[in-house]
Amino acid sequence: MIRPSRSLPFCLVALSLVTAASSGSGGVAHSDASPPSGQRPGPPSDNAERPVTFDRDIAPIVFHDCANCHHAGEASPFTLLTYDDVKSHARQIAAVVRKRQMPPWLPEEGELKFADELRLTDRQISLFQEWIDDGEKEGDAADLPTRPNFVEGWQLGKPDLILTAEKPYLLPAGGDDNYWNFIFRAPVDRVRWLKAMEIRAGDKKLIHHANVLVDRTQSVRHLEKEAGAGFGGMELEIESESFDPDSHFLFWKPGTVPYVEPDGMALRLDKDTDLVLNTHMQPSGKAEKVQPTIGLYFTDVPASIFPMLLQLENDRALDIPAGAKDFVVTDDFTLPVDVDLLAIYPHAHYLGKDLLGYATLPDGSTKTLIHIPQWDLNWQAVFRYTAPVRLPKGTTVAMKYTYDNSEDNIANPNHPPQRVMAGNRARDEMAHLWLQVIPLKASESDPDPRKTLLEAFARHRVAKNPADFEAHYNLAAMLQARGQLDDAIAEYSRAVELHPNDATANNSLGGALLATGDSGEAIAHFNLALKMRPDYFDAHYNLGNALIATNDFHGAIEQFRAAVRLHPDDADAEANLGGALGETGQYAEAKTHLERALEINPNHVLARENLEQLKQLMPAK
Amino acid sequence: MRRGHLKFKLIVAVLALSLAILIPAYSWCRSSSETALDLSGKAVNPLKAAAGKVVILIFVRTDCPISNRYAPTIQRIIAEYSGKSVFWLVYPDKAETPEAIRKHDGEYGYKIGALRDTQHSLVKVSQVKITPEVAVFDASERLVYHGRIDNWYVDFGRARSAATTHELDDAIQAALAGKLPSVRVTDAIGCYISDLE
Repeated sequence: MIRPSRSLPFCLVALSLVTAASSGSGGVAHSDASPPSGQRPGPPSDNAERPVTFDRDIAPIVFHDCANCHHAGEASPFTLLTYDDVKSHARQIAAVVRKRQMPPWLPEEGELKFADELRLTDRQISLFQEWIDDGEKEGDAADLPTRPNFVEGWQLGKPDLILTAEKPYLLPAGGDDNYWNFIFRAPVDRVRWLKAMEIRAGDKKLIHHANVLVDRTQSVRHLEKEAGAGFGGMELEIESESFDPDSHFLFWKPGTVPYVEPDGMALRLDKDTDLVLNTHMQPSGKAEKVQPTIGLYFTDVPASIFPMLLQLENDRALDIPAGAKDFVVTDDFTLPVDVDLLAIYPHAHYLGKDLLGYATLPDGSTKTLIHIPQWDLNWQAVFRYTAPVRLPKGTTVAMKYTYDNSEDNIANPNHPPQRVMAGNRARDEMAHLWLQVIPLKASESDPDPRKTLLEAFARHRVAKNPADFEAHYNLAAMLQARGQLDDAIAEYSRAVELHPNDATANNSLGGALLATGDSGEAIAHFNLALKMRPDYFDAHYNLGNALIATNDFHGAIEQFRAAVRLHPDDADAEANLGGALGETGQYAEAKTHLERALEINPNHVLARENLEQLKQLMPAK
Repeated sequence: MRRGHLKFKLIVAVLALSLAILIPAYSWCRSSSETALDLSGKAVNPLKAAAGKVVILIFVRTDCPISNRYAPTIQRIIAEYSGKSVFWLVYPDKAETPEAIRKHDGEYGYKIGALRDTQHSLVKVSQVKITPEVAVFDASERLVYHGRIDNWYVDFGRARSAATTHELDDAIQAALAGKLPSVRVTDAIGCYISDLE
């Protein structure tokens, strides 16, 4: 009567940034009511003798390119909305725009355009100095464009669901940059389609930027010392129970209006999915409590277009000698299908200097996808193209990152410079270039282009780095999903050889072995997984199933009890516990658990069938 | 009529002459030019208030992000040297009210006296241009250092993870030892005081 159901969980480890949707952009935060955009301020053409005035020449630039952030409640330290505001920072503004430090915009101007580019023209820049030289005149109020009218509070109106971090984080007054993660536990009670998300960082002056990661298996909760307290760390590894190629960038930086996904591109949120807010904060000079809020906006239109995130990376090549000024890291990948490139997210830490992403098309021509000649971690962002960039099958996408580990790099966290390798801490380095693409079918009869792309990508990673644990793991998980169990076991075994103590890999290898009937080996790996992570629900559940396969029902009961303790709302665990109890003749308790399974999921077929059998057995007793 | 004009010219010449005589006296006896207002509105001369001590003026602004981010460093330095020297926060923005300054100092944990330098007389005597910028006067009221606190910031928006040189510490230690600091002047990074004129 026991038929342990449930496919075995397998995991896709890694993705330091999974899903998300970005405003990606410099964000123009004007209300609809008074768009100050439209005419970009040009030179005061006709009359070179005319003095530069605030109302006519300076205000249009400030309203269009500065005020998004420089208004009350936003991230900037002071407002720039009035003549007095601008006058009291005039020389500072002239200096920062001359150096192109403001408005902050990292990519060099190129053939491909990004949404909401924040880049002043040379003429606009020189106007600030001319204004100062001409005596900072206010000018004629008739010339003053309409002052932008910023929406207070939620930029897209009241969200469908508002989440607040359980406990505030106490940001110290001084010290290094700070990286903190807040977990928003299982915010939805059924499948919802997310079309937009707004992150309200509390005091926006403190949070430089933030990413939201979708954690479908609650895989980072164990990192909290106390539930709801959050945890430190710059980079995250999120596990996924299945391939999750429908990925979005959920990135926030100050001054941005949330990006609303078009119909058909919503992000699926499941019951039990956690959202993890990964923040980069800078101490302000005083101690602060940071308790961010997230607003979720849903749609009834489920996803029908599934973008994917491709990650070019070469962290293994990051071994930067102390003092090296031009350390280069590259990676490239040839696309097995046509794709539309939607957005790009370059990522390095403090040693990054020059970041380049480019494509070599099948005809040999090259296209710069993004070039950041002076990387600054503080202004990192997701950049969305104004129109999708079609890259045909056979195109090679590549990254070339240059690092400066000398004293000349003022952002260098080590004095004197030290050898730096890849890692998750701020003083380690990274070499990542994320591409958000939509894989395209060449014809209707084509197989799923997403799978073709994923497999090619997984094989690329293994080939690039035979000692890369994640690469083997992810390829294994993909092969398992396709039913190629023997190949999957070979790849999982390689992953376990590389990381013998990895709980997830041992659990997955056990799962694949169990699926081929090798319950003895499977049990050994599940036990290893539990030794490493005693509160690992999946491993308890799977070990229970493996023990049933060897007719060790008492052992199985123990494992299912542990699983139910960890996830009291898991219908499968309750059903299997009931089944195992039934096998040992403990009918009354078996009935309780089978009924509980049906209470959680009234459509649980196994629980219903077993309960029917149990009812026939019980009166006979 | 002509004579009248001549007479007027003469008067001007006399005035100019008297000014020429007054100016050296004015700068020689500096006390009248070194006052600012404390938060109750009383005139204070910070160089005279603690005769015989090293005096450090720290020029800040409530809305200057760089001077705000320096608050913990400034407090560390105050804690280290306050027994032997006297520190003042100086606010050169005349638009900043005593209430706003009190609130700001409370939020950032400052416990030292604050002055409003609405006439920029302390700015001039300290030869500072930026917030945050500091001026160190030795026990005989001589300006021995003015400039940055340390080299944490290299430019707007570009800071090292930590400072590697500490000019204010060095200047205070020299002044306390009765010596001249080896570095007398540096350029500070922050908000221009001239934007407040």
